Amino acid sequence: MKRKVLFLSFVIAMALVSCSKKNDTPQPAPQPATKGLFVLNEGTFTYANASLSFYDFEKNEAENNLFFRANNAPIGDVGQSLALIGDDLFIVVNNSKYIYKVDAKTIIYKAKIEGFTSPRYMLQVNNDKAYVSDLVSTGFWVLNLNNLSKSFVETGNTTEAMVKVGNEVFMSNWSNYYTGGVSSNRTIQVIDCVNDELVDEIEVAKEPSAMVVDKNNHIWVSCSGDYMPPCEPAIICIDAATHQVIKRFDLAEGSYPSGLAIDGAGENIFFMNGGYGTLNVYKMSVDATEIPETPFITTDSRVFYNLKVNPQNGDIYVTDAKNYVVNGDLLRYSSNGTLLGTYEMGLIPSYMLFN
Amino acid sequence: MKKLFVLLFLVVSFAAKAQDTIVLQAVEVNADAIRRNQAETAMERKMDTALLKRLNTITMSQLLIQHSPVFIKTYGPGGVATASFRGTTASHTLVLWNGFQLNAPTLGQVDFSTIPVFMTEQVALKWGSGTSANSGGLGGVVNIENTQHFGEGLLLDLKQTYGSFNSFGSYITAGYSWANHLLRVKAYRFSSDNDFEYENIGVIPHQVMKQKNGEFVDYGLMPEYQWRHRNSLITIVSWNQWGDHNCPQIMPNVNSDTKEYTENGYSRNFVSYKTYWQTGKIEVKSAYFYEKQHYFLESYTDIGTPVTQINSKNDANIFHQIVDLNQDLYKSWKLNAKVQYDHEQVTSNNYNGLKDRDIMSFYAAVTGKLLKPLDLRLTLRNDWIDWESAGFFPTATLSYSCMYIKGLKFNAGYSHNFRSPSLNDLYWNPGGNPDLKPENGRTLDGNIMYSRSFGRFSVESTLGTYYSQVKDWIQWVPTTYRYWVPENVNTVIAYGAEVHLKLNCFVNDWNFSVSGNYVYSHTTDESGQQLIYIPLHHANAFAEVKWRTWNMTYTMEYTGERKTSMNANEFYGFQLNPYTLHHVSFGKRFGRFYADFKINNITDVDYMAVLWRPMPGRNYEIGLNYKF
Repeated sequence: MKRKVLFLSFVIAMALVSCSKKNDTPQPAPQPATKGLFVLNEGTFTYANASLSFYDFEKNEAENNLFFRANNAPIGDVGQSLALIGDDLFIVVNNSKYIYKVDAKTIIYKAKIEGFTSPRYMLQVNNDKAYVSDLVSTGFWVLNLNNLSKSFVETGNTTEAMVKVGNEVFMSNWSNYYTGGVSSNRTIQVIDCVNDELVDEIEVAKEPSAMVVDKNNHIWVSCSGDYMPPCEPAIICIDAATHQVIKRFDLAEGSYPSGLAIDGAGENIFFMNGGYGTLNVYKMSVDATEIPETPFITTDSRVFYNLKVNPQNGDIYVTDAKNYVVNGDLLRYSSNGTLLGTYEMGLIPSYMLFN
Repeated sequence: MKKLFVLLFLVVSFAAKAQDTIVLQAVEVNADAIRRNQAETAMERKMDTALLKRLNTITMSQLLIQHSPVFIKTYGPGGVATASFRGTTASHTLVLWNGFQLNAPTLGQVDFSTIPVFMTEQVALKWGSGTSANSGGLGGVVNIENTQHFGEGLLLDLKQTYGSFNSFGSYITAGYSWANHLLRVKAYRFSSDNDFEYENIGVIPHQVMKQKNGEFVDYGLMPEYQWRHRNSLITIVSWNQWGDHNCPQIMPNVNSDTKEYTENGYSRNFVSYKTYWQTGKIEVKSAYFYEKQHYFLESYTDIGTPVTQINSKNDANIFHQIVDLNQDLYKSWKLNAKVQYDHEQVTSNNYNGLKDRDIMSFYAAVTGKLLKPLDLRLTLRNDWIDWESAGFFPTATLSYSCMYIKGLKFNAGYSHNFRSPSLNDLYWNPGGNPDLKPENGRTLDGNIMYSRSFGRFSVESTLGTYYSQVKDWIQWVPTTYRYWVPENVNTVIAYGAEVHLKLNCFVNDWNFSVSGNYVYSHTTDESGQQLIYIPLHHANAFAEVKWRTWNMTYTMEYTGERKTSMNANEFYGFQLNPYTLHHVSFGKRFGRFYADFKINNITDVDYMAVLWRPMPGRNYEIGLNYKF
């Protein structure tokens, strides 16, 4: 009896052990990128499942998980944004608090820059330095591109989007959540990028998030307006030369403008606006005097997440985050708004960058 | 059949080296085993009390994953561990302590890593129609009880353990058990540096490193008093526990400069008055629970100024009142009726002010024999949430004892139950949705059970299958404002099978026992995809050999492949591979002393139970126990 019992337990144990032998052969790293669009998928907060996708214009197809396949490790937690500087691609990983530098062609790891508080976006200022905005620290980081050392410039506000016009960098102050409401969340700060000094502050509307520059060197700012009343969603236009607000378009309470983009000629801005499930894409001439009422691309029950316009041919790229727990899609539209293709991405595709 | 129950009970008592003195509680259990209708016990399984005693230095999460069909999702030692019962999620596993719900009103879940087996004497699992007496256990109920024995004299039990990663455990039980009075105090402390070495596969290049910021400490104190007077029994128990846990970072984030910890504490107190008569008993009990949860996350700016990212504080006060009556009716027919009133109030900096809820519940169960081999149990419950009826919830169970094969039984059950949204679901700011409906679950169960004893050999086996449908499943979904809102979005279908086998054999001085569980749980939402973190297959096995004062055990746990997203094809980098862990222990008794040595994860398997959360490799523990 004893033997039988022991034998039986052995059989059960072995049967179960043998089930566990399963190996995933890593897929080969992708071919070097050509002309196309990088898409950074945020991934789920705290899951560290951010991933990098690439849509190849010539092949008209997308490749996913480039980073993991090239480096056998995850990007990290919350893929926030990308920057292409020379042959290097920088990947800003918000909740992991670091920036990865990889080869833009092979995506093979080159360096990791650590020690940020909550890095958001990266902007090249000249050949030697770049700025990195931060959601938690009140100011921005100056990154030396030669030796990857960094320093911090205190500006009193947390920083978000950045655009450069001439020798000035405009930084939006989107959030004061982590400063306990003490700092401003309704200003654009102007930085002299020769001396890395704060030179001016422009009052806009609540929560300025994204910015683009048009053909007239006017800066368009989308202000998300907060989720707690009083909300103040707006699109604002600033003259980069005078630092003055020259146009202001207030949006309906309950709307949440985001994904601000501009075409190659700098003549039309694109943004998403609406409520949940009705976040449509709008197109607006930079000379317009009113906000367009009819959407340019309707959401059709998709969950639009971010927007970008190809500066060369005017194609419009919109990411669809779906239900946030399955892979999203990249939607490609022609310049007149016709859907040209749908490509599977990773979880919560967001930041887009043309190669 | 009755004889078998008595025999099984005696076997268990013998193995447990329980006291010979006839004591009220033991008689009651025995009597229950005889008197309880088969349909009443069809949907439950009691865990071996001898095993519980021997494993009393582990947590309930380890106990369940190694010895029961319940699956545990664990963030690692000192981290949160939640249960998935029959393919459902953590909030569908109801935990009852002496009849009182332990699921926190805030989150609706129980962290099983905070329940030391040391603090309990009995653990039972209930599913399907077995969960009928309470709302919330759509997957199942884990029933934890404290039992006391009179007339045992001095109670003194000291245990000290020391293990890898500088882990210390001290456990003391002290008290005195008179003929009609009993006073017992249990106290424990467990701490660990939890700085095990692992291969970090979340960084480039992969690197062997030690886990940082994983230290934790837990303390518990449980005084109990019991007084028996004629046919009545008064019990007072107070379970107090504190825990201070640092939270280690996920693998890619190991170098990020953050401070993250949780401080949790609770005081759970109840008074119960029970009185028996020839044909029944009534129990009246009141409880007051206080629970405190504090989660803190801080990061640092360039100049080292701390920035508080999350500082979440919840304080809950919960009051429970229960009146529970058991009465024999006519012949084999019996009635169980229960009225329960719960009041929950929570103060949280995540809510707008204090939030509270009143829950009233009326319950009745009737059991009896339809035919000689056929038992029936019917129950009906009516719950009122904030003085509004949540509806009527019936269950039915049939149990048939095969007349041709001794020990063979068939059970079938239908149950309808619900789960109220948690207070976080209703009131979290921002996002809480006060218009949420309760989740609504219907389950069909079928079991074949065979248990029999042949002289020195005994066998106990169950093959169970289930099919359940949960409507209005609550899920947090994103909104335009980039915060999430809970909604009744999904219908979830869970079906599967469980196999349980337990063999025991005595030969002279030897005692061999083998037990195991295998579970197949298929749980999908409307997209047809298996829910994340629920394995399709999981299993465990346990073997024990005892010879005179020696004993040796082997434990195996297997977890099948799991997904971390709802994609049909999970990318290999984000999928959790299956793993099998093996643990062994050796023990010897020296008079009043007992020493043991454990090797956990003996094959040093490198695995992740949650994505990018490292788990310890091979580790050791020694223990010394003195029992008066």
